[in-house]
Amino acid sequence: MTVAQTSETSAAPGPASGKAGPRTAAPQSGFAPWKDPSKKPIVRFENVTKRFGDFVAVKNCTLDIYEREFFALLGPSGCGKSTLLRMLAGFEKPTEGRLIVAGQDITDLPPYERPINMMFQSYALFPHMTVEGNIGFGLRQEGMDKADIEKRVGETMDMVELRQFAKRKPHQLSGGQQQRVALARAIAKKPRIVLLDEPLGALDKRLRQQAQFELMRIQESTGTTFIFVTHDQEEAMTVSSRMAVMDKGEMVQVATPGDIYEAPKSRYVAGFIGDVNIFEGTVSGMPDGYAEIDWVDGAAKFKTRCADELTKGQKVWLALRPEKMRISHDKPASTVNTIAGKVDDVGYLGSISHYHVRVGSGQRVTALRANSSHTVERAISWEDNVWLEWPADAGIVLTR
Amino acid sequence: MRRWYVIAAPYLWLLLFFLIPFFIVFKLSLSDIATAIPPYIPTLDLSKGMSAFPEFFSGLDFENYTFIFGDALYVSAYWSSVKIAAIATFFTLLIAYPIAYGMARAPREWQSTLMMLVILPFWTSFLIRIYAWIGILKKEGLLNQFLMNIGLISEPLTIMNTTLAVYIGIVYSYLPFMILPLYASLEKISPSLIEAAEDLGSRPWKAFWQVTFPLSIPGVFAGCLLVFIPAVGEFVIPDLLGGSDTLMIGKTLWSEFFNNRDWPVSSAVAVILLLVLVIPIVLFQRQQQREREAGT
Repeated sequence: MTVAQTSETSAAPGPASGKAGPRTAAPQSGFAPWKDPSKKPIVRFENVTKRFGDFVAVKNCTLDIYEREFFALLGPSGCGKSTLLRMLAGFEKPTEGRLIVAGQDITDLPPYERPINMMFQSYALFPHMTVEGNIGFGLRQEGMDKADIEKRVGETMDMVELRQFAKRKPHQLSGGQQQRVALARAIAKKPRIVLLDEPLGALDKRLRQQAQFELMRIQESTGTTFIFVTHDQEEAMTVSSRMAVMDKGEMVQVATPGDIYEAPKSRYVAGFIGDVNIFEGTVSGMPDGYAEIDWVDGAAKFKTRCADELTKGQKVWLALRPEKMRISHDKPASTVNTIAGKVDDVGYLGSISHYHVRVGSGQRVTALRANSSHTVERAISWEDNVWLEWPADAGIVLTR
Repeated sequence: MRRWYVIAAPYLWLLLFFLIPFFIVFKLSLSDIATAIPPYIPTLDLSKGMSAFPEFFSGLDFENYTFIFGDALYVSAYWSSVKIAAIATFFTLLIAYPIAYGMARAPREWQSTLMMLVILPFWTSFLIRIYAWIGILKKEGLLNQFLMNIGLISEPLTIMNTTLAVYIGIVYSYLPFMILPLYASLEKISPSLIEAAEDLGSRPWKAFWQVTFPLSIPGVFAGCLLVFIPAVGEFVIPDLLGGSDTLMIGKTLWSEFFNNRDWPVSSAVAVILLLVLVIPIVLFQRQQQREREAGT
């Protein structure tokens, strides 16, 4: 199913983040090797399945990742994203399927022969070695010259600003510093692919945002392909060029953060990335490029742009991002895409406000309004009767 | 005030059961043998009043120590005990390490069972287990019967009453004391460290020497000292399994005390043994301290 692209502004920030501002994301415009059929992927999962006894951790997964991508594997814990990463690192063997890196089948290659380095979730720093020793560990395995190792370790330490901690042991470092040592160790060998397992999971929120940009800077300056696993949708949105949303071992959607946010393929994806309101309904008509939907929960009729062919009477869901809904006291002129409700809760966040509105027979809907002026003549408050309205190109029709 | 009681309890214990007995032994080692009850002089006779003290102290000397150091028997008994204990400790480590490693890498649900199996021999008396080894090692014992039955040897091996039997006895008896600290330190090593080493290009065997072994050194150290220290003073094993040529200080001490009834000399032997062991004990405590500090 292809959903109509609703807008060009694919860089909308996740509403859950509550922060406005430009998104200095990974290369978005211009960089799109996945659209270029002449480009060969650097990593290819070919029908990969992984079973642990009866449990299927990864189900028939096929995925191409291209050079210089910052690729995110996103999903709740237990969805198989870490297993996918560990198979690429060589710690787990696929039960079925093949792994191809740079044209070479690496399915049966042990981890120490793969051109891939990993940054571990718990960092896995060697506690008996200094920062220098940790970063140089991989280089020493190659039998590199002592002087060359020293030079490379120095360069890598500069890149992550760790030079003054060179002689310290991991337990003498803060969490953020340890995180940088782990990153430095993973990039020191200049691998073509770096895997990152929840790289920022152990950091507090402030540090995490700073570290995200540092990761992006290093990924861009080294030209390495980064594949990372996270359960944090905001983090995935911020850093990745593309992301794969996983659910119960299956890849449900692979797309850019913008497409995932604006054109999710299922209710699961829509709900996983950002806030979303879902209205259940049945199709009542398909006039030229639009879908008319009868709301199950109320009397309202919805009309939404939809490129798909839907059959009359089909059960569908209309997904609506909170920031795309207008909330007001006044009844709008249009009767389509308009519902009435009562304010249950107001969340004032400074730049924006969240409104939780009870509609229909009790469904709670979230709407968002930017607080663009100092004073609002009629502030929307608890227990107010309000109207919600949205344009025909704001919602997405989902059949799953 | 309440805190003070808590701290005082262990110190009081040590004072009562360690320091005071030690001073009694030390005083004995400075005394002279006598045909009396108790079999040494001087004794503090307080009925003479204050003058008893100078008389008492003038009776103490280091004669026994000069005697011990002058006699080659004692010196070589010390040396041989340390040597036997050191070699036995090495072989205990060699056998215990793979066992502890296997335990630490075994599935979680098995680990407590495996631990139980290691501790299980303690349910039988130590003495009985050593007697059992006599049944295994003697000329017509189980081991020789077995080896002769499978045709590996035609003449029974002489193991019983040799130093080899003492090694077997020490390695067997002290194996759990080596396995437990080794297991404790190996079990703490996160498997992801080994994965990280392999991910960075280290082959499994190299990863073991670069990561696993260095991180298990505290356990190796603790285990070696836990075996070495009691093995040096071991009496039962050399007495039951060893021959007349197996010289160990524990045996010497015993015969000095019970056969010669020379309490002062045997006390001096014990004090010197303590001094010999103080070095590894201090090393052990230093190591423990360092580990605690690294842990915080």
